Amino acid sequence: MLFFSFFKTLIDHEVTVELKNDIRIRGVLKSVDQYLNIKLDNIQVVEEIKYPHLSAVKNVFIRGSVVRYVHLPSNSVDVQLLEDATRREAANQAGKAK
Amino acid sequence: MSFFGFDNNRHNTGAIGFSQAHNPFAGLSSQQDDDGDALEFEETYDGLGDQLEETNDAFNDDTFGDSAGAVSGNAGQDFDFFGQTAKVSNVIEEEHFLFNRQQPPARAAQANNAQPSYQSYNQQAASSYGYPSQPQGSGSKAPGYSTGYEKYAELQADADLWGLAPKKQPQAPAPQASPAAPSPVPAAANAVPASRKVLSLEEVEAQMRAQSKSVQKQPAAPSPAPQAQAPPQVPYMDPAIQFAQPAQHQFSGPGDHHAQQAPVTILQRPQSKHAPSPQPPAQPPSQSPALQSQHQRQQSSVPVQPTQILQNPNRLSGDAARMGPQHSTPPVPGPFPPHPNHRHQGSFGRQAGVITHPSQLAQLSDEEKAAYMEQEAKRAKRNHKIFLMSRDNGIMTPQDKSFVTRIQLQQLVAATGNPNEHGTDESLAEDFYYQVHNQIQGGQRQHPSQPLNNFAQTYLFQTGSRQGGMRRHNRGPENHMQRMEQQVQRAVEAAKNKPKNKQLVIEGSLGKISFSNAKTPKPLLNIKRNDSSSDANRPGSAHRPITGGDRKSELRCIESVYTTLMKMEDHDRIMPPPPSSDNDTEAINNFMAWSSEAQALNQKLWTSLRIHDHPEPGYVHPFIAFLGYSKGKKAMVRIFRHLTQEQRTTILTLIVVNLDNLDVVRNAQVTPAAVQLNAAMRENVELFSVAVMSTLFNFLNELELDLVTGVLGLVCTRNVEIIVKSRIGASMITMILSRAEIIKHNGGGSEQSWRAWESTYTQFFDLIEPTLPQMFPGPVTSGDDVYVWQLLAALGIGAGPDQQQRLVLAVKDRVMDTVALSKTLPQDMGAQRLQNVNLFMRSIGLDVELLQ
Repeated sequence: MLFFSFFKTLIDHEVTVELKNDIRIRGVLKSVDQYLNIKLDNIQVVEEIKYPHLSAVKNVFIRGSVVRYVHLPSNSVDVQLLEDATRREAANQAGKAK
Repeated sequence: MSFFGFDNNRHNTGAIGFSQAHNPFAGLSSQQDDDGDALEFEETYDGLGDQLEETNDAFNDDTFGDSAGAVSGNAGQDFDFFGQTAKVSNVIEEEHFLFNRQQPPARAAQANNAQPSYQSYNQQAASSYGYPSQPQGSGSKAPGYSTGYEKYAELQADADLWGLAPKKQPQAPAPQASPAAPSPVPAAANAVPASRKVLSLEEVEAQMRAQSKSVQKQPAAPSPAPQAQAPPQVPYMDPAIQFAQPAQHQFSGPGDHHAQQAPVTILQRPQSKHAPSPQPPAQPPSQSPALQSQHQRQQSSVPVQPTQILQNPNRLSGDAARMGPQHSTPPVPGPFPPHPNHRHQGSFGRQAGVITHPSQLAQLSDEEKAAYMEQEAKRAKRNHKIFLMSRDNGIMTPQDKSFVTRIQLQQLVAATGNPNEHGTDESLAEDFYYQVHNQIQGGQRQHPSQPLNNFAQTYLFQTGSRQGGMRRHNRGPENHMQRMEQQVQRAVEAAKNKPKNKQLVIEGSLGKISFSNAKTPKPLLNIKRNDSSSDANRPGSAHRPITGGDRKSELRCIESVYTTLMKMEDHDRIMPPPPSSDNDTEAINNFMAWSSEAQALNQKLWTSLRIHDHPEPGYVHPFIAFLGYSKGKKAMVRIFRHLTQEQRTTILTLIVVNLDNLDVVRNAQVTPAAVQLNAAMRENVELFSVAVMSTLFNFLNELELDLVTGVLGLVCTRNVEIIVKSRIGASMITMILSRAEIIKHNGGGSEQSWRAWESTYTQFFDLIEPTLPQMFPGPVTSGDDVYVWQLLAALGIGAGPDQQQRLVLAVKDRVMDTVALSKTLPQDMGAQRLQNVNLFMRSIGLDVELLQ
């Protein structure tokens, strides 16, 4: 649940989601769930010329499985905390595996 | 039938089995025995019933009560007529055969002549077979015993069923008087219905009222009141209205489907059967006789039960069951039961209508009629809606409702976790980043899961406590809420205790099937850890012999430090309040237990830091190597928080002793020749100064003079040149020297310690003096030399006059160059450089102003 936990803190921040079909969508993260499905608001496609069919779209729901990358706003990521969270996650997983 | 000259084309006389059902008054006029079992249904049934919409007929009994019983109870006369004949048909056949042998033209003779002997025989046979005789008066017939052709007569003789009795009346007067006589077939066929039909509307109503109270034989059956009812109405009947009526009355209950269906079928029937009908095909000018008859019945029954029907569908069905058989005789008993039910529903749908009298409609204009019908349709629609909704009223008891609530709450808890757990370790483990991040952010934003938790808590706990307050008054709900709480707790507990079988291995399958749920989505990678690798994560691994400068083991050490740190931080969170008094033994015990645990963790951390390990010659100290990694540097702040003063001093000492071994010192040497450190090292230095130096600085600022002197003495044992030629080393020395100055400024320190300091300082000054000109990073133009001026200032403050002079001499060139450079630079940058230089100049009682 680390990623879910992490992305929840990015709600209402602007992120850029890169999809597996190379479309990059920038928008305000409105919601995320445990499958990392993403809801974006006020979206803008980075290469709008290339994907004109999305120029009229204002918000999207993205199925988590089609996301390649999420570009994060670095100043809203607490790196050290994230490291610790990762350690905890690893410890949890290790504990569960046993 | 046209035998009597009346309009007969409205009706299919061929449909015996069915058509008899339409005699609306037969049930009134006769309460017959019900020898339906003798009926040869296949012979009589015309198959029309198969065309009916009969789905869901299985529920008709539910809807209308036990109509089957009622039907069979009243189904008598029509079928008795036929049925009795059929029962003795074999006898008849025999007799017939016998008779034919005696009189070859048997049929013609039978059709045209009365056959007293045969008739009497039939009567005899009937009685000998035990058939009850007809209970009616003279007006009714005893048809079954007249001829062997009764079957055929019945097959053709039922024009009355379509409601045309009054019209027949004047045209077929004769046969009434002799129902039992073997009259010619057509005559007999017509006579029978005609005799049934000679009721006035008023009489019929009276009969119905009487019958609805007590099931009995009515006396008025044969009353020959001619055509009082239908004919006047027929001209006024607007076919549109008639067709619209079924739609209006859709609310008539669960059977409304049939209500709609029935009239349609009825309407079709005459058309489809006209071809085989023996009647002339001339159509009636106005409308279908079926509708007419429907209306007659409607009219007659409306006064009986109109309002209740509207308001109470259940009553309606009851009434329908009760009344149906009486006023519209179910024609086909036994094998054809659904059909009467259709009929009842259909007629009742109309009866329930608001058009209480068709004559009212007749007086309206077309527009008014249309409007009225529209209005009615709307109203009926609304009623139907209300009915549909109100049908479920009270279907759930309060207990049911709370049971459902309980289930929902369980699911809620299962999906979101126990609200009690929020903020505890368990939820923290699952959602650590988010929760801590929010705590750090200080509640800038509302906890998104808050509403949900509050919701669950509201239901689980607040209401429980609220009702606990009125426990005495309201026992039931309180128990209920308690049970709900307990159940939720149990469910959560059970879910927790349930062995989490995350995988299903089906025999013979090539892989494992992993389960997933909302909290733990299906893991795509399932990495089996071997024990040796997980071993390294355990703090105990720190005890293993050190392998030296092995990067992997160093990183592992750092991770173990972090693991221990996190445990300590978790442990700090559950720190019990310190015992308020000595008497509170439990609190004392708690605190002691916590303290000992904290002590153990501290020891663990200390060992995993490997401060006391002694490196083999040629290797750096493991702790210094630890600080070589960025995450090791970052850990310093947190490590210091959990260490004792003594341990902190030890670390400080260790760092100072190894100052020239630190990578940020040794690998970050400055040279006068414009050397830019590479980006990675710059970053390292930056991180070290932020993470480690600041920690040490805070710690050093609490040290006493003796320790400061000792630290400076340690520096003196190292390679001072290397130390001061790095930014970190210079800063470290600045820290030490300035701390001594502050202690002096505050008047701290004993005379003896000051003497020790003086000697140490002198020793250090001697060591640093040759390096002073080489401390500056790059040429004078590089400008990143403020920390050097700070070191010089720190040196200058503590220096004696002699030392100050040596200082000035050592850095004089740099000072002059910087002052000269500042004049060429833009105003603010130049001022900044001058200010840096002035730090040093003022410390020795000079000022850059003097140089300009």
